[in-house]
Amino acid sequence: MGRLFIAKEDIQTLIERLKEGCDEFIAPKKEHLSDVIFADTKEAGGELIDYEGNSVISPRAFLLPQTEALFEIKSIKDGKFFPIPDKKKRIFYGVRPCDIKALILMRSFFLDEFVDIPYKQKLENSTFIALSCNRLCSEEAFCCEMDAGPVAKEGYDLQLTAIGKGYLVDVGSEKGSRIIRNNKKLFAKPEPRDEKEALETLKCLAKGCKRIDFKKLAGMMNEDKIKPSVWDDIGLRCVVCSGCITLCPTCSCFSIADRVSGDSGIRLRYCDGCPYSGFTRMAGGSTPFPLHKDHIRRFFEHKLNYDVGRYGIPSCVGCARCINTCPGNISIRKFIEEVAK
Amino acid sequence: MKLNEYLPVPAAIKDIVDETPDTKTFILQIKGRSNRVFKYKPGQFLMISLPGYGEAPFTFASSPSKDGKFQISVRRVGFLTNAMHKLKEKDIIGVRGPYGNTFPLDKMEKKDLLFIAGGCGIAPLRPLIQHVFSTRGGKNRKDYGKVEIIYGCRMPKDRFYKKEIKEWMDEPDTKVYLTVDEPDQTWDGACGVVCVMFPRIKLNPKTSMVFLCGPSVMIKSAIRDILKLGFREQNIYASLERYMKCGIGKCGHCYIKGKYVCTDGPNFSYTQMKKLGITS
Ligand SMILES: Cc1cc2nc3c(=O)[nH]c(=O)nc-3n(C[C@H](O)[C@H](O)[C@H](O)COP(=O)(O)OP(=O)(O)OC[C@H]3O[C@@H](n4cnc5c(N)ncnc54)[C@H](O)[C@@H]3O)c2cc1C
Ligand code: SF4
Ligand code: FES
Repeated sequence: MGRLFIAKEDIQTLIERLKEGCDEFIAPKKEHLSDVIFADTKEAGGELIDYEGNSVISPRAFLLPQTEALFEIKSIKDGKFFPIPDKKKRIFYGVRPCDIKALILMRSFFLDEFVDIPYKQKLENSTFIALSCNRLCSEEAFCCEMDAGPVAKEGYDLQLTAIGKGYLVDVGSEKGSRIIRNNKKLFAKPEPRDEKEALETLKCLAKGCKRIDFKKLAGMMNEDKIKPSVWDDIGLRCVVCSGCITLCPTCSCFSIADRVSGDSGIRLRYCDGCPYSGFTRMAGGSTPFPLHKDHIRRFFEHKLNYDVGRYGIPSCVGCARCINTCPGNISIRKFIEEVAK
Repeated sequence: MKLNEYLPVPAAIKDIVDETPDTKTFILQIKGRSNRVFKYKPGQFLMISLPGYGEAPFTFASSPSKDGKFQISVRRVGFLTNAMHKLKEKDIIGVRGPYGNTFPLDKMEKKDLLFIAGGCGIAPLRPLIQHVFSTRGGKNRKDYGKVEIIYGCRMPKDRFYKKEIKEWMDEPDTKVYLTVDEPDQTWDGACGVVCVMFPRIKLNPKTSMVFLCGPSVMIKSAIRDILKLGFREQNIYASLERYMKCGIGKCGHCYIKGKYVCTDGPNFSYTQMKKLGITS
């Protein structure tokens, strides 16, 4: 299916119709402190059709929630666990291209070899409508450099690109074409000058951007060519707030624990990660990663070195959430720029 | 839809053996027809669950048997393991697995074999040793060369599988060296860490294979000393322990340098360990 066009006034109609066909409509929304977050607006409303910047927390939080009940424990004594399936149909609206790219990476991670059923269930029942970027979301963002923006190349069901009078619509999957087929009257063929307008914006955005040489960067890390003082400085600045792993769209580490009261309860999984020293601590108290600098190094190397080895691309999409949140001003971007120089 | 890997299946406790003051061996059998968990190989591990107490990895401590029973030896160190020690025969626990890789069984054939274990590190090596001795039928023994086993513990009472180890001593072409860090009145054997026994090794270092498991300090010093004797890097295998929560390469706890100890290991050759930055 070729590119389509939808007028500004028709988007709300489309959204209302989409809401009818899903259990949760996850869309950007302004919360009390005026930050943009993703929230279920199916009943509550208040979704932003278009918005500046990106959400504080990545939409990952709906597929790999901060805490999630995996199993029900009906009785501690019987030794049994009962799965808690999540069959909710979710539509994600307004997801930024960097987060779409992150989803592609998370999909290959969670669905390879041993399939992670809780993640897969949620992913397969989800539809993703991307909203491409017309300007950089923050001064620190480096999605263009990481080949993850300002427009998604794949991984979306529909992608909207804002132009003056409405949105250009790209269809990325069968799920996407179904939405178009079911709402035929809302879509039209774009005019050539609309496409030109979008192209101009894109050109301006990508101007001066230099793609990062992933392979070279990974190679340098692999050969341990980074000055030890770089890691020392990073270690000094980390206060273990864990903001980075909480906000990052590609962080996937978790723990599993039981929570019971009386004889029944749940087994849950919750997000966990490398900044915490307890993350790798073993029986007897020894840990292979004792220092702050080891933890952040692990974070950086996982995304920029080992995942390049495994998937051919880094698993940092340049959204800059970790940079903007870090109280110690640790910047993965500066790190990349310094190392790849 | 594919099976939910995180879902434990119930297993019944058939018997419990008091191994040492802080370790019990549980003989388990899966309830019902879910026999998937039985097709394990030496060196693999499984995840054990007690509802309300959580889940942790334990290595298979016996080689696969026809009746579907398998053993795990559990040291009491914390929340879950304390609760496990309170269990009784016929109680039910949750299990899932098997996970992880095995030892290079093909490569071992016709070779002389050296096993080095410290403390509870004997548990993962036991299925492999049992496989070599193949207690049932004795068929395997002639497929392998000489066997030497070095086993060190803190105190004499901390030694696992006491009766079985005596039987190992009677196997043909086999030597077993025992040592303790802190001897008591009952002990008239060797004292010190496992490395003190190395001068007694009679095997040809160039062709023998070495299997180690124990605390990480022991693994490091033993590898260092065994290399000095001329054993070859690529013939040395260690079973590693890392904090693990999922066992299937997802939770990230056991990740080192792009490898997951749970799926790429837990058994690594020293050549691989060096690449992972785990060296003496
Ligand atoms: C591959 C593998 C095989 C193992 N095999 C055996 C075995 O055969 N017998 C045996 O007794 N022990 C074995 N262990 C260690 C065993 O998993 C831990 O002793 C157990 O998790 C402790 O649980 P707990 O709740 O009693 O301890 P906790 O109360 O949780 O904590 C006690 C200590 O155990 C550490 N610990 C907690 N959870 C884990 C975990 N999932 N992995 C590693 N360390 C952890 C904690 O950091 C802490 O230092 C194995 C570990 C691994 C990784
Ligand atoms: S590492 Fe930082 S910049 Fe990269 S994707 Fe994660 S949060 Fe965004
Ligand atoms: S134990 Fe979860 S990744 Fe290895």
